[in-house]
Amino acid sequence: MRSKSTSNSNTHSNSLSRQLGLYFVLAIVFVAGLLLALNQLAGLMGTATQEAQAVDFANNSISAVLREEPPQLDSSKATDSTSGLVLGHIMEGLLRMDLQDRLSPAIAERWEVTPTHATFWLRKDAKWSDGKPISAADFIFAWQLALKPETGSEYASLLYPIENAEAINTGKLPASALGVSAPDPHTLVVKLTRPIAFFDKLVVFPTFLPIREDFYNATQGRFGSDAKDLLYSGPYTIKSWVHGASMLLERNPHYWDSNRGKLAQINFAYITSDATATLNFFKDERIALARLQAENLTEALRLKWPIRRFADGTVFYLEFNHREDHLSRNLNFRKAIQHALDMEELVYKVTKLPGYLPGKSLFPEWLIGVEKTLREEYPASTVTVDSAKARAYLALAKEELGLAEFPEITLLTSDNPVSNIQSEWLQEVLKQTLGLTIKIDKQIFKQRLAKMSSGEFGLLLGGWGPDYNDPLTFGDLFASWNLNNRGRYKSEQMDALVATAQNATATPDRMKAFGAIQQQLFDDVVILPMYERGVTYVVHPQLKGVKRRVIGAETDYTYAYIDPDA
Amino acid sequence: MSEQTSTSWQPSASDFAPKPKHQTADAITRPAMSYWQDAWRRLKENKRALFSLYLIIGLVTFTLAGPYLWTIDPSAQDLDQIGMAPGADRNVTIAPAYQPWYGPTDDQTYANDNALGLTLVGNATSQAVRLAWRGNDYDQADYGYKIYRTLFPLDAGDAFGLPLMESKNHYFEDRLDLQPTDYYYTVVALDSQGVETDQFATLKLTVKRVITVLEAQQRGLTKNGPVAEGEQIKLALHPFGTDYLGRDMLARLIYGGQVSLFIGIFAPLLYVLLGVIYGSIAGFMGGAVDQLMMRFADFAVALPFLLFMILLKVIFGIGPGESGVLPMLVAMVILLWPAPARLVRGQILQIREEGYVSASQLLGAKTNYLVFRHMIPNTMGVILVTITFQVPSAIFTEAFLSFIGMGVAPPTPSWGSMCNDGIKSMLTRPHELFFPALFISITVLAFNLLGDGLRDALDARMRNRE
Repeated sequence: MRSKSTSNSNTHSNSLSRQLGLYFVLAIVFVAGLLLALNQLAGLMGTATQEAQAVDFANNSISAVLREEPPQLDSSKATDSTSGLVLGHIMEGLLRMDLQDRLSPAIAERWEVTPTHATFWLRKDAKWSDGKPISAADFIFAWQLALKPETGSEYASLLYPIENAEAINTGKLPASALGVSAPDPHTLVVKLTRPIAFFDKLVVFPTFLPIREDFYNATQGRFGSDAKDLLYSGPYTIKSWVHGASMLLERNPHYWDSNRGKLAQINFAYITSDATATLNFFKDERIALARLQAENLTEALRLKWPIRRFADGTVFYLEFNHREDHLSRNLNFRKAIQHALDMEELVYKVTKLPGYLPGKSLFPEWLIGVEKTLREEYPASTVTVDSAKARAYLALAKEELGLAEFPEITLLTSDNPVSNIQSEWLQEVLKQTLGLTIKIDKQIFKQRLAKMSSGEFGLLLGGWGPDYNDPLTFGDLFASWNLNNRGRYKSEQMDALVATAQNATATPDRMKAFGAIQQQLFDDVVILPMYERGVTYVVHPQLKGVKRRVIGAETDYTYAYIDPDA
Repeated sequence: MSEQTSTSWQPSASDFAPKPKHQTADAITRPAMSYWQDAWRRLKENKRALFSLYLIIGLVTFTLAGPYLWTIDPSAQDLDQIGMAPGADRNVTIAPAYQPWYGPTDDQTYANDNALGLTLVGNATSQAVRLAWRGNDYDQADYGYKIYRTLFPLDAGDAFGLPLMESKNHYFEDRLDLQPTDYYYTVVALDSQGVETDQFATLKLTVKRVITVLEAQQRGLTKNGPVAEGEQIKLALHPFGTDYLGRDMLARLIYGGQVSLFIGIFAPLLYVLLGVIYGSIAGFMGGAVDQLMMRFADFAVALPFLLFMILLKVIFGIGPGESGVLPMLVAMVILLWPAPARLVRGQILQIREEGYVSASQLLGAKTNYLVFRHMIPNTMGVILVTITFQVPSAIFTEAFLSFIGMGVAPPTPSWGSMCNDGIKSMLTRPHELFFPALFISITVLAFNLLGDGLRDALDARMRNRE
């Protein structure tokens, strides 16, 4: 009886394992077959994606990817970097940055900035894409438009150095009161409220681009929302704009400068921010340029792609909330955190993205000072990370605040892979070194912006990208009146320094002020600089002359050309 | 025999004595078995189900006893071993603390076997790799250099790899994510336009992993006595490797399992119980009450789960960065009960019409008796099977919600959130996705097979067959 039952169960388990094995093999065969079949099917269906070709020499065209759909392309309202990228191809303003990042003439042949006036002499052969000449009046209209309160331009404050601009923007004066005049159609005279040494650098920004009044009125409020609702002054025009899917740029036949716009077509064939998808498009030669993430670097190295890097100019930092009732109002508390966080560890070991630099100052390395870079002239002070010191500062803070136990602190961050890693690193380091409990509050951009403005955070992973090529784009961030000072840091000394930096005309004086701002930010631990962002990307070997920019179009194809021999 | 020979039969007194009472007929019975004993016997015969049962017990033990056996903090970051695969080399050499470097000294000698005199200064360690070079040919002006690094051997004409820096200096220090492996560094001279010339030099280096004495102390590696510089020790052991922040995968799997199995077991228990009560009331009462109750169940089915999950998070006052496990549980309980309720109601309706129930009623059984003696035991099989089949779906729901960021808050792990983290580096570090995915798969499969076995074992109609 006993032996029978064992033999029975033996045959049972034998047949069971055979059965399982068979199922396993069948399952694998089925999945493999399914994959193949689906791949075939996708190949049959995906006719649209077949058209994109990374580099097409015969038609002199390239394909690329846009990270997101531009909300609209009205230059008076544009704020995001994708709009900046497209506007950099389809529009041209008074001045522009050349391939060596120097200020160079564009529609203005020459210019002059004095303490009271800025004068621009426009070239006579500059035309709109409908063949009509570009005149000074087009600039005046665009600037007045950006300043009108009903336009709601977020960057209107960039125009404030112009006489009456602030009053117009706040609704106190009509737009016609703007201190800009055109003695003749090819001369533009700007009256300045205060001496501003870098006004010429400022006009490179998209808000200063021209808009023609009759065309604007003809679009009846739809200006910039579609290809037919735009008038182009740059080397390219938009031939088709399939919202959310693709955008096709074509050379502007009326554009004056034969050195730009060498490619006949630029096909932004995909609009996606998915890193893996972008990389696969590149692998399949659908697009000519793709950004690399830490995860796919090894793959890119293995395939021996030509990899390039550039610093995109953005600085990221940990902001403290300086409002009343916040722990981080206490200087020793901030110093404790300053001595606990090793940004080199963060950059080299945790995020380990190539091209990133450990943050030492609010002013990134590439900013130019008097002769050398600002950071070479005014080196940033740093602390050595020391957990014992950090704990000592924290004990002091505890005493000063009269707390028995530190409450939980909320860390506001954006919801993307890089910030997730960073915030979890920060959470753990602060817990290990200082015993602080950090709550991570991940929010999408708009929600984060709302919380940043209302001050609903203890700590904040913030960042700032430059708007114009002058240290002031960073330097005035922590003035008490600046709304981008999210922690509402308030110091008379800082305000005085920012005022000096804004109003002085001599470059050495201004740079000295920036040096002092940098020192003040360090001494008072207003923020903790974390890193300067870098971008690593791959380019199709036949595509040459692509320019990556810190300010303006992030990727600039206007000088690009195809070299079929490469 | 002798009696037969007698001609006449004489009855005696003994003939009228009663037969002894103890005499019994040969009974043809087998040991009496209760419903449960029988079910258990049939479950035991189903090897697949039995194996799954042991697997489930093992998993529960793993997550509950695990923290006492494997005492590593699941959120501690071992930054020396980020993204380490299981079984990776753990040897490390103690080195002096990192000191900033400002270029080579004047008496630096340069190698002569390459175009630029590219030389390694000091040792190549995971702390830093320091390179110096003499520069390009002396007759050419110096316009700066570009430094590249790659992991793969370079052939002529290959791209040099990852650009690290563009510099006017004749030295470079690399500290970016140095792993103990071979690297190929290339320095290319640039022309006045910043374009690469054909002057370049490549150097192959083997990086040695080092940590400082202080780091060794912080990581708790000095248990076997103090360590000195130059000594070789082993880094902390991570049997299942580490994740993208150097956290121990095994510890995270244990703690993650607690969340996943908690939701996976408790949520179905609660909502199946609710469903059973609701369904049996509806089925037993019948008529208009049944109609009304079941229409309400239909209404509850139509409620969107994700929306309720978000609403509950708000109602519970669960702010960002706090665990969403409780609202997840509540949302599951208040939204997923209709399915078991319908099932049980159907069963009850069927049983109510059975002859033995009518007989019981005729004999004067009360409602309570009917419910507890006849209804519930007869639906028990269905209920148990429902629970086991709901467990995998609850585990999946938790995994999915944590995957999209609605579940646990960092640094608390759950299997789902670990998958979410692991999928980003699926191609380069597959173990970060593989292990949590494996655990989810095993658990779900085990519960499914067990449910399958239970369904057969508890089916009353299959009772006493064979």
